[in-house]
Formats: sequence, C-alpha cells, structure tokens
Amino acid sequence: MTDEYVHIANADEVAQGKTLVAQVGDREVLLCHTSEGYFAVDNQCSHAAARLCEGKLKGHKILCPLHGAAFDVRNGSALSRPASQPIATYPVRVDDAGIAVLVGEVD
Amino acid sequence: MTEPTRLRPGDARAHGPTVADTLRQDRYPPPAPLLEQCYAFLGDAPIPVSRYTSREFFDREMRQMWSRAWQWACRLEHIPDIGDRYVYDIGPYSIIVVRSGEGDISAYHNTCTHRGTRLLDSEGSGYGQAITCPFHGWSWHLDGSIRNIPGRWDFPHACEATHSLRPVRCETWGGFVFVNLDPAARPLTESLDVLPEHFSHFPLEQRRIKLHVQKKLPANWKAAQEAFMEAYHNFETHDAPNGGNAQYDIFGKYVSRFIHNIGTYSPQSLDDYPGEKWRQPTLSEEELLGILAVFGVQRSNVPEGESARDIAAGDLRRSLGERLGIDLSDASESMLLDSIEYHLFPNMFLFPGLGVPMVYRFRPDGERVDQCIFDLLIMEPMPEGQEHPEPPEPVHLEVDDSYTEVQELRWLGPVYDEDTGNLALQQRGLASGAIEGITLGNYQEARIRRMHLTLDEFLSASEAGND
Repeated sequence: MTDEYVHIANADEVAQGKTLVAQVGDREVLLCHTSEGYFAVDNQCSHAAARLCEGKLKGHKILCPLHGAAFDVRNGSALSRPASQPIATYPVRVDDAGIAVLVGEVD
Repeated sequence: MTEPTRLRPGDARAHGPTVADTLRQDRYPPPAPLLEQCYAFLGDAPIPVSRYTSREFFDREMRQMWSRAWQWACRLEHIPDIGDRYVYDIGPYSIIVVRSGEGDISAYHNTCTHRGTRLLDSEGSGYGQAITCPFHGWSWHLDGSIRNIPGRWDFPHACEATHSLRPVRCETWGGFVFVNLDPAARPLTESLDVLPEHFSHFPLEQRRIKLHVQKKLPANWKAAQEAFMEAYHNFETHDAPNGGNAQYDIFGKYVSRFIHNIGTYSPQSLDDYPGEKWRQPTLSEEELLGILAVFGVQRSNVPEGESARDIAAGDLRRSLGERLGIDLSDASESMLLDSIEYHLFPNMFLFPGLGVPMVYRFRPDGERVDQCIFDLLIMEPMPEGQEHPEPPEPVHLEVDDSYTEVQELRWLGPVYDEDTGNLALQQRGLASGAIEGITLGNYQEARIRRMHLTLDEFLSASEAGND
C-alpha cells in the first residue's frame, strides 16, 4: 500500500485498445488504454476468482474471461451479470515520465 | 389520362418519367443490377389485420418462421478474435455466436444443458475463452464441448453426446453472420436470391459500422418494417416530392427492392395528389440542388444545360470520395444519390448506395405482439485493405425518445421520427377491429405482399410437417 504515484509504464508502451498488468504493493493493477484515455482498475473480477488481464478490453468495457462480466473501466461499475459489485479504480497520471497510478487506501 | 381499369391489375404505373428513364439518362452508367426491372402481380386480396394484432399468429410466427428462417445476428467485425462472442435474441430464443477458431465461427443456443439457465445475460458483444453457466459453473470450450462439470462424480450420465452446447446453424455473407435455429435448414445462399450477384457490385464486407441506433417502436414488427418498404408515403409523411414514381422489384421469394431517385423527381407522378404542390410550379433545378445540401453538396447554382443531379453527383464524387478515402471518380449518379433499398426475408434491409448507406433490422421486442426493435446501422465503405475498426456500441432509444437525440444522424433524425411517428397510430387503428384487412397497392406496395406470401409458406410448411 502506498500513498504515492507509482510509475508502471512508459508513455508509448500500451497501445490504444490494449491493457497492461502491474504489481503495485500487494495489488495487481490493470492499466487500460481507451479512446478516452488511460484508466486503472483492480485486476481481480468482483464476481469470481478471475484475472481481468486475461479478458478483453472493448471500448471502455473490460470483459472478464471467466463469465464475461463487463465493467466500466472509467468508474469500475459492474455493467452486466453475473457481476453486481464494482471493481476498484485508481487515479492515473500521464506525463513526460510515463504513466503512474495511485494505489492509496482502499475505501 | 390512362384509365387504370382498362389495364390488367399490376400493369398501371405513375405518370411521367420512370426511375429507369432517369438512370438511362445519367451521365455515369450505374452498376448493371440497378438497370434490372423485375415485377409480377402477386394478387390484391386484403392482408388480415390479425397478422399484426393476434397473439396466436405471433406464436405461430415464432414457432414456425423465426425458428426456421435465416436471420442476421451480427457482423464479422463484432467477433474478430478467438473468444469474441455476440449474443442475439429473437423472441424467446437466444443465440451465442462465437469466434471459435482463427477462421471458424460457431453458434449455440444460449442455454445451459444442465438445468436450462440462460448462459449469457444480455444481447451484444462479449468475450471469454470459455462459456460458463452462472448457476453451478458448468463450462464449455469455444467449440461447444464440455470443459468442466464441477462435482462430475455426480453426473456419470452427462457426456459430450448429451451435454455439449446445443449447436445453431450459422453462415456468413457480405460480412454478416446469419443464424438459423432449424438444424435441417437449406443453405443460406438459397435464401439470398439475387443478392450475391447484385452485391458483387457493392461489396458489404468492406464497410464499417459508423453508427448503430437501436430503438423500440410501438407496433408489430411487420407493420414497422412495412413502413420502410415503399416510398408511396413520402408525399404525406415526409412532405417530399420524390416517392411517386419509385421503382419496385420482386426478385424472388426472399428478396425485393425499391429505387427512388434523389436530386430529380417526376411532377407528373403526383398529378392526382392533393394541391398543386411541386406541380404548379415545378421545383427548379436550383431548388432541387438546395434540398441536397444535407448530403454535403456545397454548390448552389446549376449552369445552363446541367441538372441538379449532375452537379450534386459531381460534388459528392470529390467530397465524399475524399472523406471516405475512396476513388469515386466513376461512381454513378444513382449510387451517389438515390435511395436504393433491398429487403431480405424476413427482416433485413440493405442499402448499397453511398449517400444513404444503411442497414436495418426489425424484430419483435421479446414476445410482444405490438412492440418491436428497430436496429438502424449506418455502414460506410472503407478503403480497400483497411481493417475494420471496433464497431461502436448501439445507442439505445426507447419508444418515446426522438431520433434527433442522436446527433450523428444529423438530417436523418427528423426523417426517422417521421417514418416511425405513424406507427403507434397504425397499431391502435389495427387493434380497433374496425377493418378486417389492410389494402395494398398492386405495384407500390407489392414488396409487402411478397413478404406475407413467403411468411405463409413458412407457416403452412410447418403445419404440414406437424401433421
């Protein structure tokens, strides 16, 4: 757990439409590059034990590989069954140094 | 004036020049299929109103037509990668289309073979390397074979032969994936009539979905689609001059077409329409060109010896070609301007033209007799060799929403509001029981009759099979 931004990728490392997994503290963070910019979410589906990095980013939705649950990567909300609980999201900072996320205290 | 009664039924036509006359006079020759004409009188008996209002008829359609007709489920670009899938719902049925291998597409009933749960909840795009039931976690590989049954010791009686996902027939044409719930269905090509030949001139594979709007409409699915099968309503519904002399073609049991010209019209075709509008005086070439500003036509003057249609087409060859990144220097006036609409039984419309490049689909909203879903796609041609971008998610509109809420539709928003604005009135009128049958024009509304005749073949064939 950290209260500072942690560098996880270089600026050109993740093409639009692609994702990247980074270990930050005790957490796996999934960085998603959408047409609306970068978003970071928890890599763990809120429904069953599945890693979202093995799923697929479509538009602003990340789809779980196991049951196909969809989450909005912009706010973490669950968009389709079987998931009903949201996933955590993390602030992303993009600057010359690259892409960094803030994995602070979880609400 | 010709007395219609002296002609055989179906032989009468609007006065004045025809669409074929216009196409022959255009400076750039149209693709050969647009010069074909194919019409035969199909009868003039009323179409029973109960077809639009009765639960019993609706159930027969579900059991005997929707469960046996080829229907478009999604586009290939909805499922480009292995594991991509698309759920398509029709009435009580739900089908999963999945990219099961590099060049393989499979389809399954969206139903768990354990206790019948619907596997994937909502229609549309999804992804997964397996298909898993949310109830007890039974899962299947993309090829439909069993992947895992938790607590398998308790199911010695479940095996591939009995508990693989139930397959659904699927085939592709023109970049569209079609499904058929009947395992014994004839191949898709037998239901496409002239489409493969005609559309070899206007390849749909190389088009992308620019916009997808899905709206609920307050009418039976047939009433809704029939509002789009003729241009006879243009004068009253759209306050537009150019539907009176449209050309209608019936190419077979499954495929029909209309063409109506844009950028020109026939004042004579309106000779018994109310008022003097567009006849006295007729629209000038400048006024006709002004109407085409919505197409992005920049020019406003028509030099001596030229027509609005020439000027507009010339403008679009350049500007539309530049915007799309395609060489349109040989494109015909008709392809650039006209409303050219093919219908494929039971519920698909294809517009090969470049100015109005739509695809429609109409189907019941769940099991509602009096409400339907209208998918409207704008499908723009792409430069050769370009890969399909990810298709946009559909914009959803409810019954009372207006198409003008979808800004990307631009000038088409109010037009679709007009097209769909009569449907609630029609459905209420049909439900009143005041008339027993609707009446169809012998020529202008023949496509509607063809659709009902083909529907009858499905209904009676099934009944015979059930005996």
